Amino acid sequence: MATAEIFAPPEPPETPAKSSVGFSPLTRYLLVRLALVLPMIWVLVTMVFILMRVIGDPITSASAGRLTSEQIAERKADAGFDRPILVQYWEYLSGLFRGDFGTTLTDHRPISDIFVVNGAATLELSIWALIVAFSVGMPLGRVAARYRDRLPDVLLRLAAILFYAAPVFFVGLLLKLAFAPFGWPVAGRASTGAELALQDVSPQTHIMLFDAILYGNTGYIVDVLQHAVLPAIALGLLTGGVFLRLVRVNLLQTLQMDYVTAARARGVPEKRVIRKHAFRNALVPVVTVMGMQMALLLAGAVLTETTFEWPGLGFTLTEYLIRRDFLAVQGIVTLLAVVVGVTSFLIDVIVAFVDPRVRF
Amino acid sequence: MKNTRRGVVLLAGMALVGIAAAGCGAGKTSEEGLIVGTTDKVISIDPAGAYDNGSMQIQTQVFSYLLNFPEGSTELTPDAAEKCEFSQPTEFTCTMKDGLTFANGNPLTAKSVAFSYQRIVDIDDPNGPVSLLTNMKSVEAKDDKTVVFTLNSPNDQTFPQVLVTSAGPIVDELTYPADKVLDDAAAVKANAFSGPYTIGTYQKNQLAEFKANPDYDGAFNKPKADKVTMKYYKDSNNLKLDIENGNIDVAWRSLTPTDIASLEKADGVKVHVGAGGELRYMVFNLKTMPGDDDDQKLAIRKAMASSIDRAELAEQVYKGTYAPAYSILPAGVPGAVESFKDMYGEKPDKAAAQKFLDDAGVKIPVTLPIQYNPDHYGSNSDQEYNAIKRQLEASGLFTVKLESTEWDTYSEERVNDGYPIFQLGWFPDFPDADNYLTPFLAPKNFLESHYEDDVTTKLLDDERTDGDQTSREATFKELQDRVAEQLPILPLLSGAQIAVAGDDIAGVEKTLDAAFKFRFTSLSKK
Repeated sequence: MATAEIFAPPEPPETPAKSSVGFSPLTRYLLVRLALVLPMIWVLVTMVFILMRVIGDPITSASAGRLTSEQIAERKADAGFDRPILVQYWEYLSGLFRGDFGTTLTDHRPISDIFVVNGAATLELSIWALIVAFSVGMPLGRVAARYRDRLPDVLLRLAAILFYAAPVFFVGLLLKLAFAPFGWPVAGRASTGAELALQDVSPQTHIMLFDAILYGNTGYIVDVLQHAVLPAIALGLLTGGVFLRLVRVNLLQTLQMDYVTAARARGVPEKRVIRKHAFRNALVPVVTVMGMQMALLLAGAVLTETTFEWPGLGFTLTEYLIRRDFLAVQGIVTLLAVVVGVTSFLIDVIVAFVDPRVRF
Repeated sequence: MKNTRRGVVLLAGMALVGIAAAGCGAGKTSEEGLIVGTTDKVISIDPAGAYDNGSMQIQTQVFSYLLNFPEGSTELTPDAAEKCEFSQPTEFTCTMKDGLTFANGNPLTAKSVAFSYQRIVDIDDPNGPVSLLTNMKSVEAKDDKTVVFTLNSPNDQTFPQVLVTSAGPIVDELTYPADKVLDDAAAVKANAFSGPYTIGTYQKNQLAEFKANPDYDGAFNKPKADKVTMKYYKDSNNLKLDIENGNIDVAWRSLTPTDIASLEKADGVKVHVGAGGELRYMVFNLKTMPGDDDDQKLAIRKAMASSIDRAELAEQVYKGTYAPAYSILPAGVPGAVESFKDMYGEKPDKAAAQKFLDDAGVKIPVTLPIQYNPDHYGSNSDQEYNAIKRQLEASGLFTVKLESTEWDTYSEERVNDGYPIFQLGWFPDFPDADNYLTPFLAPKNFLESHYEDDVTTKLLDDERTDGDQTSREATFKELQDRVAEQLPILPLLSGAQIAVAGDDIAGVEKTLDAAFKFRFTSLSKK
C-alpha cells in the first residue's frame, strides 16, 4: 500500500484557473501591465509638461533678449501661454490624444515630422546598437562564465566595466580618430550622394537601410551599412558591457542548478551542457533587463548621435535645447517617454511568453 | 547543423570584410556635384524669419535682390532691378528688369519687391531682419516696374546696401503669406526661387541640394557647377575630417584655428583666406566699470589699451586666423586707419599705462571684472580671455576677475548693466564702414553701455548722408580717432573669411571678397 502510494503518479498541477472575471492568467497579466503602463506614460508626460513650465513659458525662453516685454506678452497671448496652466495642460493632453504635438517655435517645423524623420534615425541606430550589444554581450558572457575566475573571465569582466563606464562620446571620439585616417565615414547616415538619392524612394521609410534596399542600389546599401558601423559600436558597447556581465552571472547561477548537475552526471559533454541546458535559461533575465536598457540606449543615443552627426531624436533634441525651443524639447521628450513606456510593456509581454512563471 | 552555423558565421564575416574594404576610401561620386560643408544652421529660408549666417547662405543662392555684389566686388550692381537711385532725399526708387519670373512661373515684379519688404516689417519675427529696415518709412509699388522706398532720414547712403542684406531677398507674393513666416518645406515645394540656384532635395540642417536656375540673369555670374549640395555639421571636428578625407569639396565656416592649422599641412586640400570682416572686442559699461569718476574710468580704459598684445592673441590663440585690430573698422574696410596703434602703440607699454593711471589718481592695482561668453563666439574665447587676463596682470597694474556666462543669460544681463567689462563680436551686414560705427556709437546703440556723445552723433549723421566718398572717409577717420580717444570699446582682433577646399576646386578665393557673400556660382571643379 505504501509502495503504491510512493509510485502513485503525482497529482496533476492545478490548471491555471480563470479569474473570477473570466480572463486567463496570461490575459490578466497583460491587462495589468497595460493598466500600469498607461498611468506611467501619463505621469511622464505630465512631468515633462510641468518641468517645461517651471523654467518659464516657451515664448519668453526662445525670444528673451530679442523682444520687448510688450512683444513677448503679445506673442504669449497669441500662442495661448497667458492662459491658466490647467487650461494649457488640458489642451496639451488632448492634443497628444489627437496626435497633434504642435509646431516648433524657432523653425516652424511640425513636431510630428520630427517623430517620423528623426525618430526613424534613432530607431535604426538603436537596432544596430542592440545587434552590437547582443553580439558582444552574449558570446563573451558565455565565455566569461565558462572560464570563471580564470584569465579570460578577468579580462572580459574588465572589458565589460570599461564598455559601460566609458562615456559614449569618448568612445565615439576614439573610434573616429582610429578609423577616419583610413577614409572610414565618421559623420551622417550615408554619403551625400546616397542620402540625396534615397530621398526619392517611394514609399520613404526614413530607415536608411530599408530605403537603400527599396532603391535597389547595392552601393548605397553598403554605404549605409558603413556609416552605421562606428555609431553602432559606440552605443552598442555601452549596453553590450551590461549584457556581458548579466549573461555571465546568470549562466553561473544556472550552471549550479540541479538539472545541470543531473545532465553532467548523465555524461553530457560540458559544451552541450552550457549550450543546450544552461545558456538558454540564463537568457530570460537578459530579456527583462533589455526593457530597462532601452532607456539607457536612448540616453546614450543623444551623445552618440551628436558625436557622429546622426540626425536622430537625440541630435535634434540638443539642437532645440541650444535654441531654447521648449515646445520642440517638450514634444521630443514626451515621445521618448512614450517609447520607454511602450518598450517596457512589450518586454513584459515577451517575458510572459518566454517564462510562463511570471504569469502566475 | 554545425556546418550551417559555421556557414552563417563565415558569410557574416565575409560581409563585414566586404563592408570594411568598401569603406576604406569611400568618398563622393562625381554625380553628386560639389559638396560644401558647414557648421552654420538654417533658421528659415523665408527672409522674414531669419537674420543669421546659415539662412543667409541659402538665401544668397536662391533669391534675387534688387541690387547685389558680383564676384570680387563691393560695387552695388543691379540684380533684379534695372537701376536704383535717390529720386528725392527721402525717396529711393528702383526700376525693375522686364520679364522676370520665379522658378515656379509666377511673375517677379515691383509688387513682389514691395510685398517682400513690407511683410518683414509686418511679421516682425524675433529671428527676422526687421532691425535693418529702421530707416524705411514705407515701400510702395507704383506699377509693375517701379518700387519706391520712403525713408525716415534723407540721403541715407547706407540704405542701398541694406537692399543686399538679409532684408533684401525678393519673395513671391502669390506663395508667401503676408502675415506669417513660411515654413521651409512649403518654401521648397513652392519653388518660388529666382536666384542662380533653386532647391531640389532639402532636409533642414542636414542637406540642401541646389540646382542651377537656367533663367537667372542677375548680378552673379552664371553657375559654373550645375549642382551644389550643402551638408550641415554639428561638430566642426567632423567637418574637418570630411574635408581632409575628400568626402566633401569645400568646408565653409567654421573650423577651429587648430583644425585650420592642421589642414594647412594636409595633402589634397588648400586653405583659402579672404577679406576680413569679423570684429572681436571688449565693451566698457561706462556706468559700472571700475573708477571713481569719468576721468579715472577713461584712464583705466587707456591703461588697458596700452597693456594688450593683440599680435600675441592672434598668433598664440588663433594661430594666425585672426589679425590684430587697431581700430573699430577692421583693416580692409574702406576708410580704415589704425588709430589705436597710433595712440597706444603696437606692443604693451607699461610705463604709458602707469602714467594714465597715475595722472588720474587711480589706485594700483585696479581690479577688473571681465565677462566673456564661451559658446557664442567660438570655443577659443576661453583661451582668448585667459590670455588677456595674463597680459593685463603681467603689467602689474591690474588684477583681473574673469567670469563666463552662457549666451542666453549673457545677452540679457549685459544690456541690464550686469557686466562692467565684457566681450562681444560683430559680423557686418554689408561692406560699408558705417555698419561698424552707427550700431555701436549712435544714441541708443545696441551695446547699451551708456555711451552717447553729441559730436560723434553729428559725425555719424554727416557720414551717412554724405554722397562724396572722399569726405566720407575723412569723417570715418575722425570717428575712429574719437573711438580710440574715448574708448567706449577696445577692438582686439579682426577675422578673415576662411574656407578650405580640395585641390581640384576652383573659384573659392574669388568669392571670399569684402562683400561677405559666399557665392556657389563661383565654384567649380578644375
